Amino acid sequence: MKKYLLFILAVAFSILLTACGGNNKSSGGGGEANASETVGEDIEGATELTFWTYQEQHMKIFKSAAERWNEEYPDRPIKLVAETYPYDQHHNNLLMAMQSGSGGPDIADIEVGRFSNFLQGDIQLEPMNEYMEPLKDVLIPSRIDMYSKDGNYYGVPTHLGATVVYYNQEIMDEAGVDIDSIKTWDDYVEAGKQVVEKTGVPMTTVETDEHWSYWPLVSQSGSDFFDENGELILSNEKNVKTLQFLQDMVYESEIAVTAPGGFHHSEEYYGFMNDGGAASLMMPMWYMGRFIDYMPDLKGKMVMKPMPLWEGSDAKTAGMGGTGTVVTKTSDNVDLAKEFLAYAKLSEEGSIALWKQLGFTPVRTDVWDSPELQEDNEYFDYFGDYIWDMVSEMSAEVSGIKLTPYTADVITELQSNVMHSVIREKSQTPKEALKQAEESIRGKMEAGE
Amino acid sequence: MLQSPTNDESRVRVPNTNKGQYSPNPNPKGDKKQNRVIRFLNSQKVAPYVFITPFIVSFLLLTLYPTIKAFTMSFQRVLPGQSHFIGWNNYERIFNPTFYKALQNTTIYVVLTVVILVVVPIVLSVILDSKLVKFKTLFRASLFIPSLTSVIVAGTIFRLIFGESDASAANQIIGIFGMEPIEWRYNSWSAMFLMVVLCCWRWMGVNMLYFLAGLQNIPKELYEAAEIDGANVFQKFYYVTLPFLKPITIFVITISIINGFRMFEESFVYWETSSPGNIGTTVVGYIYQQGIQQNDLGFGAAIGVVLMLIIFVISIIQLLLTGAFKRSDE
Amino acid sequence: MERKSASLYKWLATLAFALISFIALFPILGLIISSFRSSSELMRNGMSLTFNLSELNINNYSYIFTQASEYWNWYGNSLIISTLTIVLSLFFSSMVGYALALYEFKGRNVLFVLVLFIIMVPFEILMLPLYQLMINIQLIDTYFGVMMPLIVAPIAVFFFRQYALGLPKALMDAARIDGCTEYGVFFKIMMPLMLPSFAAMAILQGLNSWNNFLWPLLVLRSNDMFTLPIGLATLLTPYGNNYDVLIAGSVMTIIPIVILFLFFQKYFVSGLTVGGVKG
Repeated sequence: MKKYLLFILAVAFSILLTACGGNNKSSGGGGEANASETVGEDIEGATELTFWTYQEQHMKIFKSAAERWNEEYPDRPIKLVAETYPYDQHHNNLLMAMQSGSGGPDIADIEVGRFSNFLQGDIQLEPMNEYMEPLKDVLIPSRIDMYSKDGNYYGVPTHLGATVVYYNQEIMDEAGVDIDSIKTWDDYVEAGKQVVEKTGVPMTTVETDEHWSYWPLVSQSGSDFFDENGELILSNEKNVKTLQFLQDMVYESEIAVTAPGGFHHSEEYYGFMNDGGAASLMMPMWYMGRFIDYMPDLKGKMVMKPMPLWEGSDAKTAGMGGTGTVVTKTSDNVDLAKEFLAYAKLSEEGSIALWKQLGFTPVRTDVWDSPELQEDNEYFDYFGDYIWDMVSEMSAEVSGIKLTPYTADVITELQSNVMHSVIREKSQTPKEALKQAEESIRGKMEAGE
Repeated sequence: MLQSPTNDESRVRVPNTNKGQYSPNPNPKGDKKQNRVIRFLNSQKVAPYVFITPFIVSFLLLTLYPTIKAFTMSFQRVLPGQSHFIGWNNYERIFNPTFYKALQNTTIYVVLTVVILVVVPIVLSVILDSKLVKFKTLFRASLFIPSLTSVIVAGTIFRLIFGESDASAANQIIGIFGMEPIEWRYNSWSAMFLMVVLCCWRWMGVNMLYFLAGLQNIPKELYEAAEIDGANVFQKFYYVTLPFLKPITIFVITISIINGFRMFEESFVYWETSSPGNIGTTVVGYIYQQGIQQNDLGFGAAIGVVLMLIIFVISIIQLLLTGAFKRSDE
Repeated sequence: MERKSASLYKWLATLAFALISFIALFPILGLIISSFRSSSELMRNGMSLTFNLSELNINNYSYIFTQASEYWNWYGNSLIISTLTIVLSLFFSSMVGYALALYEFKGRNVLFVLVLFIIMVPFEILMLPLYQLMINIQLIDTYFGVMMPLIVAPIAVFFFRQYALGLPKALMDAARIDGCTEYGVFFKIMMPLMLPSFAAMAILQGLNSWNNFLWPLLVLRSNDMFTLPIGLATLLTPYGNNYDVLIAGSVMTIIPIVILFLFFQKYFVSGLTVGGVKG
């Protein structure tokens, strides 16, 4: 018995050893992104900076910035250790590291929905004011204010996050709808009816597990979940009306279906859309990358347009989602980390890299007409070359969002209760669902005071 | 590590460890001292305490201390650098719709898994133990193999089987019976079904093994005696088999209840931490969501304390009812 | 006539078990077959009963063997952690269980209740204070930090105690008369008698450790310290999008364990048969 076991263990180990041995060589090479990567490990005396993110692609920006930095400042080189964790684990780990005051990285990405968790108590993040304030004129205010508290800017934004509607030109043509004729949401619903009638394909999809179908509409309508003073206004009239609008699209006019997989980032959804499952989709611009990566069959068919307008308003878009990159107080090299972060994401090259490498619209408006951004790339190939014109057209009216320590709770309520019972099950009216969510969050807010 | 030295006296069947250890010691003083220490440690009064030391240490460090800390935290709002006491506030907030939903889910899950994972394995093990079935070892092994998978791997598989597209295995199967495809992960009943199926699939074989082991303890003569008395199959099962399986059943029930209340991963693999309409939210999931994700450690701790009380009460009742405190050989 | 119906029952029972076994193994078989298919296609449409034989390929595996060095890292971590956990937890838990079963001493009952108590305390409510403790004693992101809560496993203590209750006390006295120390009695006389329970607990503890999820999720931070379940879970999220490694990697997590189990089977069953070694 024992012999067998030993034998098996020995075999298992030898397989392991050979496997590891074989792979050590290839791990240094580029190609496929890894969950952990290091730049500048062979530079002597380089200062080590660690960077944590939840989005593998974000490492690209920092890697290329580190390479540029080491060329530009050979006297104070950086060894960048970039690591990707899964979304939840990343934020939880980071939060706990902040709470305990040790074990954290120097630089970290924080997703907007989780950002507010880091603004509670003694804030364990370094203000970036010295780098943000000089650029204030060229940065979109709503996108930097959201990561600030008491006049301190803690997070460096990643993109504009302007919400657009992606239309499938082929389906729209088949239905005989001229996309440019859709000016208001009423037009959109009317067009939707025509699409459903002519093609049998739903006009759009609504998320039930996440909030990207709702929040942009709320923001565009001039409302939000919290007002200027951080008061919870989740169930105000506008928000109820907006949610009703979504519910009606699914159940009244029947132009929308719930998103397969529950949200627009699910593998099921990609498959559904790629096969021409819906005629249009409202998502922020950073969703472009998903089209390119997961919906190759739609290349050349998708057209982006600003959001249709609400009656009596001319807000054409809503700035949604995003990632605030921060420098933590637990860093051993706070000053260097801050300087490097600004170099990576706020500088002109950094902003250009955000577009060229990730397809993100930088928040720095003065680079929008730089020639590098007009160069042909996969985004132009896929969507067409009107992107920057559209961005400039919309940017005057990017509505912001107000983040408070309780934003994450609102999102949790939306994801796990409101969207499900109102959109998927229709078991509650928008008003009931929002009221109930508001009560539960208010309970927590009162506890915090 | 405590290890008795080798013994060179072949006179005795059982090795004599004392003698061999200290007799060659050249230092008579140290010898005496060591002798006393060994005597002390070796007394039947002290030895058990040495044996249980690891447990005591681990209890103090890994249970008592965190428990106290959890209780303290449940009365606090825990923020980096500024925790402060807020009285019963956390507890007052617990009794909200989400918590009730989580508790309801957990309770249903516990009841279902306990019933299924006790009744079915008993029946299976009795049949498998009888002369009726061929290839026993093969079947036993096949039923056990699912428990070797981690919840993550098993959950990945079940997500694929119960995919919402009509091409997924589960929907193809119900399609044969003319049923519409089901969005398994989005209905309240099917969500519970998914979690229970995942759990039962993994544990069925293990519990069956427990009962099979218990069946080996039943003296064959008892069955013969029962047969002479004219008992039929079901009477034999009820009057002979079941009483003998009682201790192992208690063990299985205890473990199932506790694991049911602690359940988190079975829900995590399907919906991660927030499920639509909280259909998959469990109490521990709620702790994780509130305590870790929402950074409301005090509130999370308070839910934990409530959960602990619930489990405690249920377990005490169950143990009292079944008399597990008695020594089995008394 | 009677004989005929008996053999019919036999066939029916065997057939029923064959069906049940098939259901039990179906998900694993399905996973194995699916691991030879395109993984993103799989995530989109789910695992289907029907598929095209021609679409089967070994791309997922060639990827895992040539490029997924991380996967093998996780594998190694899981192996090391599981092995150490088995050795340490068996050693300590058997000592405690043995003492609880066979010694009369003050506080024994209290201790046993404590053991049950710990089994009942959901570890999950203690994880946060424990996590802080791990940071304070600098065990975050270490193997030992992951293993610590498993080392004196109350469930193993409980099991060893139940098992040791069935051991003959007379043997202990005999050994004492022959001059054994209390520890000698345990290590040389009683422990060997408990061996079948060791095998069973080795499997259970090994499995627990191999499949442990929530605690390593908190303790382990860096990718090269991850265990398999943590690593695989990172691939399950929409942001992980490396389904090749997820599916094929899952298969390779199961297979070695299944092989081990096939060899260990008898030990496992006999280890659970508490009364089997009496006398």
